[in-house]
Amino acid sequence: RYVRQLQRLQLLFSPTSADSRGARQFVEEAAVDFARQHPDVVLYVSPRSGRAPVLLAEYLNGTVREELINSKTSEEIVQLATKLAGQSGLDIIRIRKPFHTDNPSIQGQWHPLTNKPSALTVQGPRLQPK
Amino acid sequence: MVLLSAPRWLRSRLTDRFWRVQEVLKYARHFRGRKNRCYKLAVGSVRRAFVRSTKARREKKRFLRALWITRIEAASLEHGLKYPAFISNLLKSQVELNRKVIADLAIYEPKTFKSLAALAQRRRQEGFLAALGDGKEPEGIFSRMVRHY
Repeated sequence: RYVRQLQRLQLLFSPTSADSRGARQFVEEAAVDFARQHPDVVLYVSPRSGRAPVLLAEYLNGTVREELINSKTSEEIVQLATKLAGQSGLDIIRIRKPFHTDNPSIQGQWHPLTNKPSALTVQGPRLQPK
Repeated sequence: MVLLSAPRWLRSRLTDRFWRVQEVLKYARHFRGRKNRCYKLAVGSVRRAFVRSTKARREKKRFLRALWITRIEAASLEHGLKYPAFISNLLKSQVELNRKVIADLAIYEPKTFKSLAALAQRRRQEGFLAALGDGKEPEGIFSRMVRHY
């Protein structure tokens, strides 16, 4: 069953400044629809004056991502929010290998003595093989 | 009426020079010497480092293949086979494993690799018999080819 990795989205914007216009339009029009479409994400809307508009995304593994929404239209904010909702909280860096195992060896990893005859198998004049 | 051109007494100052410099220096932090601190030296070094890293992606494939071949050679010599004999006989027995997988098997699954070496050895002997005998001996079992249509 799919568990959405996005825990909460905090929308911080200023009620008066010009670059929060898109954020204010988003809150008026599209925020409720977004919240209805993503029922497992908690959307906090907090207007604070003197603050650059920012979208804070917190994920289940603790990572917090800040996205500036200065002078973005309402549709762009919706697209950004849906993109954040689909991400997991892992860091966005280059993945070194597309595979990973915790138990890479089943038959026992090779060591310099794997293919050497042991004392049990050596046939000498005194040692008896078992 | 909106004035479109600024008057001459208005000057604009560059205020984020620090961040523009840091954008370049952050890629130079692990370099040696003054290249990791001084912007003028770092610009050229970072550019060369990026160019070299793009070109090295083609070399990486060659390097890793050579590494796998070395490892397979060492492992097959432990079982008494040389690398060309091992690879050619594996291909003749229709085992189409690439060198990466065979090298990983040699490290993490030594018994499987031992059985692969035994298979190659057996196929080699059958090849010798087919080439030298050329008489009424029956065909080798491991020399049979499976056709997928």
